[in-house]
Amino acid sequence: MLFNSLSFVVFLLIVLVLYYSKLFGWTNKKRMLLIASYVFYGLWNPPLVILLWISTVVDWTAGNKLAVENDIKKRKFWLLLSMFVNLGFLGFFKYGNFLMENFVSVVNALGLDYQPRPMDIILPMGISFYTFQTMSYTIDMYYKRMSPARTFLDFALYVTFFPQLVAGPIVRAQELITQFYESKRATTEQFFWGLFLLTTGLFQKVVLADTLLADVSDDVFGTAKVLHGVDAWVGTIAFSGQIFFDFAGYSTCAIGIALMLGIILPDNFKYPYAALGFSDLWRRWHISLSTWLRDYLYIPLGGNRNGLTRMYVALMITMLLGGLWHGAAWTFIVWGGLHGTYLILERLQKQYLPFKITAYNGIFLAFITFSCVNITWVFFRADTFKKSWDMIKSMFYAQTDGAKILGNFDIIKVCTVIGIMFLCHWFMRNSSLKKLAHKAPPWVLGVAWAVLFFLIVISQGSGEQFIYFQF
Amino acid sequence: MQLKQSFIIALILGLGAVASWELYWRSQGVKPYLDDNKDLWANQRARLDDDNSKMTVFIGSSRILYDIQLDIWEELTDTEPIMLAVQGASPIPIFKDIVDNTNFKGTLMVGITPPLMFSTVYPEAFPMFRAQSKVAYYEDRTYAQRLNHKLSVPLQTNLAFIRDGDEEWDTDVDLKTLLRHIHIGERAGPPPVPFNNFEEIALNRHMKMPEYVTQDTAYANTIKAAWVDMVGGDRPPPDKEATTTTFVELAKKFTARGGNLILLRCPSSGFFKEIEGKGFPRAEYWDQLVEKVGVKAYHYDDYPQFRNLFLPEWSHLATEDAQFFTRELIAIMKEDNALNIN
Repeated sequence: MLFNSLSFVVFLLIVLVLYYSKLFGWTNKKRMLLIASYVFYGLWNPPLVILLWISTVVDWTAGNKLAVENDIKKRKFWLLLSMFVNLGFLGFFKYGNFLMENFVSVVNALGLDYQPRPMDIILPMGISFYTFQTMSYTIDMYYKRMSPARTFLDFALYVTFFPQLVAGPIVRAQELITQFYESKRATTEQFFWGLFLLTTGLFQKVVLADTLLADVSDDVFGTAKVLHGVDAWVGTIAFSGQIFFDFAGYSTCAIGIALMLGIILPDNFKYPYAALGFSDLWRRWHISLSTWLRDYLYIPLGGNRNGLTRMYVALMITMLLGGLWHGAAWTFIVWGGLHGTYLILERLQKQYLPFKITAYNGIFLAFITFSCVNITWVFFRADTFKKSWDMIKSMFYAQTDGAKILGNFDIIKVCTVIGIMFLCHWFMRNSSLKKLAHKAPPWVLGVAWAVLFFLIVISQGSGEQFIYFQF
Repeated sequence: MQLKQSFIIALILGLGAVASWELYWRSQGVKPYLDDNKDLWANQRARLDDDNSKMTVFIGSSRILYDIQLDIWEELTDTEPIMLAVQGASPIPIFKDIVDNTNFKGTLMVGITPPLMFSTVYPEAFPMFRAQSKVAYYEDRTYAQRLNHKLSVPLQTNLAFIRDGDEEWDTDVDLKTLLRHIHIGERAGPPPVPFNNFEEIALNRHMKMPEYVTQDTAYANTIKAAWVDMVGGDRPPPDKEATTTTFVELAKKFTARGGNLILLRCPSSGFFKEIEGKGFPRAEYWDQLVEKVGVKAYHYDDYPQFRNLFLPEWSHLATEDAQFFTRELIAIMKEDNALNIN
């Protein structure tokens, strides 16, 4: 089920009515939320709920065993079992086709004529998110960083909680499960702030991403023509805006919906396009994934504890796998590799060419960071390396004889939206929407809220899927 | 923060703005109507998986969709009409779906629009893709999508500004379409001629030409201009060999299991009649296809009563003429014993 759909409006209303009715005690409310979460997921593809159940049962069992087991070998067994099941699902459903294609390419390159039957594997929605979330529980249990979930219901709800089930934020067990232990009810302030966040998230998705930016990005990345430099840049920045508004929109909706139930989810985006460098970017973009990769991959790989070279290797491996997490294609791995390279270059710069960031050079540095990020988006969005390379050539050679496929109005529209987005990120980089709303008089917030609502309604959209669902 | 206060202000202003928006578009002559979309198609396709023994199925492009009036068909033939034609599409993907994925062996009427039928069998080409995407949607649609459609129908039929179609009509009033109308200069070439809506469809995909197209020549002319703009450019040559071979193979399979296949060439006029006559001469395309398939076939040009029908935009019959066409066609086919009806 998509947040930007009529069925979700009805679904949410029913959940809220049941949640705030006096029919149920807290345990039954949690049961209702769990069933609602399975319905939310099952309305997309009912049989794939079984994967959620298997993940839940395996990690619940592994967590309980790890809580009482002291034998190191047995502890490792339970950890490995959890990882085998979760990564096995991820590997089969998400990377099965990719692995087979690469295997076939290698075999064919060796001169053997092998053409397997297509596997036609369905990619379960949000599998990368919930497998990472549930794995974090078992890993934390293995390292004895937390106590086991008190009840199976609490754990199952942690794995399946519908607001963040399919596209995050990837919440740590400690942060979410403990909230289920005691009865939760949103305060009036929380409820309406949650509703405002839901409206804001939908505005980002439906109006900014789908209505104002998606078509330009799709046209530019969908054409087989070699493009004029302006078209290539405008298409790329349109995608950078589209993916931000799409994904941040989802996270904002998720946080808002959870808040309407009295549950607090962590921020996932903090104005990332005003980042000063790439370390800063990853502290602001998809925070729940970058901290997950830091805690469960980069640090176990040695982090910065084993010298510079090992640190760079750990950093690069983390970013390459981070790229692969986003999609089963070599273009995503290159995207991760570019980010890894940026991070290494930034550390070298800080070591050998340090300079002070001031109010004057800050925005310039943010703009440089944003521009470099845009280059990586080309590999993220393009279907093939040929397309990526054509785009990069157009962007840097500024091919004057390339095809002009965008009209002037589209160029102005995209540049205006992206320009405003960049400036908003810059001026908000050390602030938050909540702080801004606190300062605004109620009527100003009310008018702004009405404008968001009105624009969502007149944009309508066709219930387009969030980009990050495929990850 | 006094969020409750802000919410009340937002609710009043928001609902007021939406109501004003609706009234504004109604004052501009926009009326609520149902959109022809993949959900309507999928619902009809789903019916084919039930007891289909008394069904007549129609496939093809928009011509058979507009020209066969389902209420008349049902009344005069006592069969259940299932309309699976797809606008701007080749009949081949739907025909293949019916042959491969259903046990249907009743009457299947295929509308042959030569520029679409003989265009290509390349799956990514638009006449194939448009039809195949409907089949794919039917196979993959989720329960959430079904529910969305059910909830969307009352909104579409009661609010003028709501649209849920698969086509991007320039008469739509959603924000994206309104922005698409703004052009500054001609950097990417002249803007395309606006393509205005001319649908009036029911939940069972009974399509009628709206009265405003029939009665307003200026409006009909905007559609004609769009056709000339769309069809007038360079087109890849037709792939008669591959399309005919594929179609004949499917036809053999269908008739071999007892299916009653009928080919129908619906009327065209003006610009379309001219380009179809030149680009797809009857003797080389229609006649050869009919000969190879070896089933009953009806070409509108063979019947004097079909020669002066009214097609407001050259390609689809006005409703009254479509009703006449359906009645007469049934009579012709009954006389020919083509419908297997006593």
